[in-house]
Amino acid sequence: MVSSGVSGTANVALRDDELARIEERLGRAPSAVELHAFDAQWSEHCSYKSSRHHLKRLPTSGAGVVLGPGEDAGILHLGVHEGERYGVVVAHESHNHPSQVVPFEGAATGVGGIVRDVLCMGAEVIGLADGLRFGSVEGAHQAYVATSAVDGIGAYGNAIGVPNVAGDVYFDAGFDENCLVNVVALGIVNENEIVHSFAPKNADGWQIVLVGKATDPSGFGGASFSSLSLDSEDAELNKGAVQVPDPFLENVLMRASYHVLRLLRQLAIPAGFKDLGAGGIVGCSAEITAHGGYGAQIDLDAVNVAVEGMAPQVIAAGETQERLLWVVPPEIAPEVLRIYNDVFTLPDVAYNARAGVIGQVTAERRYVMRHRGEVVMDVESEFLTGSIRDELPYTEVIRHEGAVDELPAVDVEAIFPQVLAHRDVCSREPLYRRYDAVVRGATVLPRGRADAGVLAPIPGSRLGVALAVAGNPRYGRIDPRYAAEHAVLEAMRRVVAVGARPIGLTDCLNFGNPRKPDQYGAFVAAVDGLAHAATQLDLAFVSGNVSLYNESGDGLAVPASAIVAAIGAFDNVGDAVTPGLKEPGSTLLWIGSRELVVGGSVLADVLGIEGPLPGLSYGAERAAVAIVHEAIARGVLRSCRAVRDGGMLTALARLSFDAMLRGRTVGAEIDFGNPLCEGGGFLCEVSDAGAIDLTGVLRVGETNDRRELIVNGVRFDVRRLYDVWSQPLEELYP
Amino acid sequence: MSARIAVPVFPGTNSEDETVRLLRDCGGDAELVHWSEPDALRQFDAYVLSGGFAYEDRIRAGAVAAHDRMMDLVIAAADAGKLVFGICNGAQILLEAGLVPGTGPARRPTAAFAKNAPSAHFICRHVHLRLALEPGRCAITAALPSGALIPAWAAHAEGRLAATPQRLEEIVSGGHVAFVYAHADGTVDSEAVPNGSALGCAGLVNRDGNVLAIMPHPERDAWNFNHLDLIEGDDVLAPSGGSAVFRSFVQALA
Repeated sequence: MVSSGVSGTANVALRDDELARIEERLGRAPSAVELHAFDAQWSEHCSYKSSRHHLKRLPTSGAGVVLGPGEDAGILHLGVHEGERYGVVVAHESHNHPSQVVPFEGAATGVGGIVRDVLCMGAEVIGLADGLRFGSVEGAHQAYVATSAVDGIGAYGNAIGVPNVAGDVYFDAGFDENCLVNVVALGIVNENEIVHSFAPKNADGWQIVLVGKATDPSGFGGASFSSLSLDSEDAELNKGAVQVPDPFLENVLMRASYHVLRLLRQLAIPAGFKDLGAGGIVGCSAEITAHGGYGAQIDLDAVNVAVEGMAPQVIAAGETQERLLWVVPPEIAPEVLRIYNDVFTLPDVAYNARAGVIGQVTAERRYVMRHRGEVVMDVESEFLTGSIRDELPYTEVIRHEGAVDELPAVDVEAIFPQVLAHRDVCSREPLYRRYDAVVRGATVLPRGRADAGVLAPIPGSRLGVALAVAGNPRYGRIDPRYAAEHAVLEAMRRVVAVGARPIGLTDCLNFGNPRKPDQYGAFVAAVDGLAHAATQLDLAFVSGNVSLYNESGDGLAVPASAIVAAIGAFDNVGDAVTPGLKEPGSTLLWIGSRELVVGGSVLADVLGIEGPLPGLSYGAERAAVAIVHEAIARGVLRSCRAVRDGGMLTALARLSFDAMLRGRTVGAEIDFGNPLCEGGGFLCEVSDAGAIDLTGVLRVGETNDRRELIVNGVRFDVRRLYDVWSQPLEELYP
Repeated sequence: MSARIAVPVFPGTNSEDETVRLLRDCGGDAELVHWSEPDALRQFDAYVLSGGFAYEDRIRAGAVAAHDRMMDLVIAAADAGKLVFGICNGAQILLEAGLVPGTGPARRPTAAFAKNAPSAHFICRHVHLRLALEPGRCAITAALPSGALIPAWAAHAEGRLAATPQRLEEIVSGGHVAFVYAHADGTVDSEAVPNGSALGCAGLVNRDGNVLAIMPHPERDAWNFNHLDLIEGDDVLAPSGGSAVFRSFVQALA
């Protein structure tokens, strides 16, 4: 019998009606451990209670989907190498709230968690990306967040040896009180060797092995903290809910886990493997067993702890980092422990870090936890982990249809340098040069070289993977649904622009308070936009995350931010389109789909004007992708960039910068209405325009043999443009 | 029987797999040796210390690993004339262990790979290394052409060679600067140096020429797929570019 007697419900986010439901089901007041277990599991962060029924509208299956959402990461089919099928494992998470409070630790632990999500699918972790949204960095705290979060991401990824190959960054006052730190991790796995996030068949009586850092009081209450709006008065209190990163331990933990995975493959022994994230030991052990149709018996006294005397609810629900949970047959458990503890010497790597058996899988679907011999928790597994649901009212967001406005007459000579120096356009190199983009030796196109990062992830194989993220907050401010559609399109275009075939998507939905119908309505509209765009492009979402309550002290939500990652595949990574204009005498083509309007563009921001966003034509989008692929197949595509922030002229400038940096003397002359409108599509340098079907393609100019861009008769020196573009972030990121 | 190459793995090492892969692709017989089995190192003929953050860079990069049991064995092997090649964190460890530049008392570091300057931050930047000695001065570079230009990636926060003027003079006069940073065309100036390193130095060799320590990573720009614009031959999987220094290392063992 569990003793009740909770003295108050301080520091939990459960609402009264949820508490009443728990008491009714248990037939008694919950114990302190149970209270905190439900607090974590029923938080928005763990349960997706107010988002899950909307997320069901997203397409999640298709020919290339090996594993859709539901486990720690999704898996897409990449290709076949030496008769074996390989999948790309992908996971996408936010660590927004922690990063706003303690940015270095918050962002670093975001990387650590997403890496473990990919690792525990049985995969080798091959790459990282980050989508960052920072406030206007004139503010001292905002500048601190913007630099420390980047340093946290770098410190973690660099130490564990996973290259950061893609990402985007925006600076906007709408993120002053709520930065967004979204992280994506990629892994590679043989599709026959996938490990699942639940106990496999016939696992009754198997052992539950906790691996990693000694459990400590850090991160207690993290899940519910992430599911509330930040209140600056609570900043000090909130710091306690943030986890402490140890990338050094994670480095060893990853390598030891690869070793265990190899052993299990050799012996053909199935297992369950899962990251301890929100909800700590109780969340992970309840889910890994319940999702396999089991219950669990957990002994908290068997948990390796950092300090003695911690309350059982802190051991059970605290979110100490760098921990993983295995479900393995009893006969193999001693060898698993030996690999972690003796071969990889975890206890010598971090204080009291180790692998140890903390419980058993049970056929009876009850989750039972003991502490000092007493039962401190005894609940139905499915009641704890199952479908709590919260259908909240929302305001319908009216879609802004794309009435085309009059294009302003623009003095390109004066305005273009302002666009290049704009915070959303200027070089991100000062920031991402703090990230190791090339560790593992498998990087084909590192961060910043092109629209997407490209990796050759399998030694001895030509298969390649492209990764890009997108999500434009200027669009999000104007229209959440359109911004979400655009995020899908831009992410897809980015992987196409490096020559890859898009194979799937992930999303992270960063929105405001779901209890405010207008803010919740923006979330619902964005889901609709993602679903529509992905369906139209025949792509599935295989993983994702929702971060709500990104709301400032005065009740304003962040700009609607559906941040999308696209994954692309190459049968031969040697086909990747390399950066920069290649040769004089090439034809420049704009392969686009949208009307040229100024709304939401960097140009509009520079000019201080507003306008509606353009409409979208998915037929034209699909055609544009087909044309780029045809140009590659016919061997005529010399270089390519997706047209996005800063318009086609910015894309052209980037191609000319890359040519200059590689010592090639190539410029271009173009003639084009307003080249700063963000018309979408692709700017392509082709050797022979006659080789491809030019339906829907506009010939805009050609390359020349000078380091000069001539735009509607106005001349720009490429070196001077480069200096304008490359400098603005040097001060913030020296 | 071909010479056997060990790639020791310290807790925190992170570049061991691609280092072994490249050595093998260059014809070497290489394998990992784990910190829990240091004595296995005795069976090897040559050693490559790869990149990473051994022992978390505690105190400073390389400081703790230099006193690891595995390093006792590597130092003994170096003293016996075996080849030892350190890259990035491996180079930092060799310097901390006093194996390079080796201008002072035995086992005493006489220089440092100090924090980058002027910005002390980690920097990931593509660079070129120019061989600054006659190739035969160092056994590991002996098969490279004179003045060889090697593409590589700098990826470190502590790579700036720093020493007293007297020690720097000894480094120069003793012929210990193996590589300097250069531009893609081979020219050398301060802009080519990513970290403020004294003498523009990217790599050091010991007196006997059997221990080489370089800060940048040639193994990260070592296959055709790492540099599609500069592909050599038609096999995208073939070693090229930065692999030249690894090939030279393997040839020295033949």
